Amino acid sequence: MIELLSQSRCIQCDKCASVCPTNVFDAVPGESPVIARQEDCQTCFLCEAYCPADALFVDAHAHEVIGLTEEEVLEKDLFGQYRRNLGWNKGNSPLNIHAELQELRQRVGSPY
Amino acid sequence: MSRLEENGLELDADVLVVGGGPAAAWAAIAATERGASVIVVDKGYVGSSGAYAASTSGHKVLPPIATLRDPLKFERYALGGFLAQHKWWDRLLEITYDRAPRVWEWVGYDIPVYDRTGSYRGLQGSETMRILRKVLLQKGVKILDQSPALELLVDNEGAVAGARGFQRQANAPWTVKAGATILANGGVAWLSKALGCNTNTGDGALMAAEAGGELSGMEFSAHYSPAPIHSSITKSAYYRYASYYDKDGKEIEGLNRNGHRSTSAIAKELLKGPVFVRLNKDTENPDTRRMLRLQQPNFFAAFDKVGIDPFEQNWEITLLLEGTVRGTGGIRIADTECGTTVKGLYAAGDAASRELNCGGFTGGAGPNMTWAIGSANIAGKAAADFSRALGKAARSRPVHAVGGVGLKGTGATWDANAVVKAVQDEVFPYDKNIFRSEKTLLESLAKLEEQWKLVQGAPLQDTAQHLIRSREAAGLLTTARWSYFAGLQRTETRGMHKRLDFPQLDESQRHYLAVGGLDRLWTRAVEVEEEVVKVPEAKKELQLA
Repeated sequence: MIELLSQSRCIQCDKCASVCPTNVFDAVPGESPVIARQEDCQTCFLCEAYCPADALFVDAHAHEVIGLTEEEVLEKDLFGQYRRNLGWNKGNSPLNIHAELQELRQRVGSPY
Repeated sequence: MSRLEENGLELDADVLVVGGGPAAAWAAIAATERGASVIVVDKGYVGSSGAYAASTSGHKVLPPIATLRDPLKFERYALGGFLAQHKWWDRLLEITYDRAPRVWEWVGYDIPVYDRTGSYRGLQGSETMRILRKVLLQKGVKILDQSPALELLVDNEGAVAGARGFQRQANAPWTVKAGATILANGGVAWLSKALGCNTNTGDGALMAAEAGGELSGMEFSAHYSPAPIHSSITKSAYYRYASYYDKDGKEIEGLNRNGHRSTSAIAKELLKGPVFVRLNKDTENPDTRRMLRLQQPNFFAAFDKVGIDPFEQNWEITLLLEGTVRGTGGIRIADTECGTTVKGLYAAGDAASRELNCGGFTGGAGPNMTWAIGSANIAGKAAADFSRALGKAARSRPVHAVGGVGLKGTGATWDANAVVKAVQDEVFPYDKNIFRSEKTLLESLAKLEEQWKLVQGAPLQDTAQHLIRSREAAGLLTTARWSYFAGLQRTETRGMHKRLDFPQLDESQRHYLAVGGLDRLWTRAVEVEEEVVKVPEAKKELQLA
């Protein structure tokens, strides 16, 4: 479930409010968006993937709120992790991931 | 009077597409390329809505070579109870082969070369959807995000003429008059939090039924996938590497069959006690682990974010209901062009019954993506042509809205979340939904009927959330009733429909079951327009350079 919107990292682009498929955020003029309906979060991680500032953290616990702090997320280097894994981080491309994947499939001999 | 009667945004188009996933996007692109003006409306965001964007699933694009296509076509033919049709498969595979690579072209990516199996993998769901959204905007398609469609508009002859819904962030209704309407807004997973599925609340099925449409294959709606118990991650492929353990660490055998996890075997174990998994079969090679990580980053998000190593540690699993999103039921396709039984109304993707290429069983992304891309391209083209034939009348005809339950009602107000919970209590338990009998089905149907009476009362509409959730509750309830009613009528075990009291396949029931009705439910057998096809003998695999 969405756990955190880091005020210090947020650039107020409201992208999360636009892209959230279950409308968890409310945009607030002149301020960072707020997590208005946390219980509606479906834990799809897409807000995290779309956030250009790596200001969001969606935990993997889908059915309960853990109450993580920004320090805990920072310490484990979890901000932006999912975006990096999709190749959506700056300077990267999904094509890089696709290419490495194809190479690994060949090397491992995977039928999948 | 519902809040949709208030003043709001009014638009018109040749074709209205409802939905935000791959089927919606492809349908809109196909209609545009046929010269139609197109509006896409979605409950969430076109690009992130639905199961595909969240799933990061690739899909195979197969050239027209029998040794490549046959395995996909026949892999699940028997599992699906011989209800799939090969003439549909062939057509859908051809369309996918022609269309899917354009996603790469449209953003200037080099199309990948075919690998040694003669196929190539598509980009992941999140990336594909990001590109498709861009393409829609480039092609001049108007998109209304965060604007769920809530009811259909119908003309005086009963043809569908658009839809009406609510802009939940702008807090105002919208109306789109259109010559043809395509429902591509997903199936139903009953708000289980299966990955990406909480936008899939049976909205399309309910809207279609209110306009006179019917459903099919709703008895094949009991698809569950394993997920780490804390998570939403219903990615099932990697359980092929799994060993299963009980709470004392003793290995449980027999939960994988033919190299894949068996949902019913897992469900039986879960009814006895907790089940734990470790991915320790053929995963010692670091390259394999790296490959698995790159292939399905969301699967590993379930573990990385909470500090579990899925290869080295045991983790507890559950089964989450994915309903028709990975099952096969949906709006019945009534002609060769993905039209429904209602004039002007088309259906594509998970919103439509996928029995035509998947029969009574599906699961993974390959067959489902083939259906999504294929049906959407067929529907988009047909809807554009239908609208053009109507001419100016398409937008000037008088129309009326036909939405009922969950939008309008008289008498006591009701709590949508309580109705959702009551429906989930009937569809989530494995001993009600996976293992069915006349007794369990009748008991569940009786409880669902009580809820049906309740939701005839006035829905709460004080906020956009209440307005939408009330209508969703009605969709979840109605689809659950159709699923169990059809399940009651199919007195055999076929596909994913398992009857404990009828454990065998009954050859005389090789037909589709159309189901419909709102207050009074009905079913009707519909003939499969193709004889059972003999599975071809395995040929030597073709090697491409």
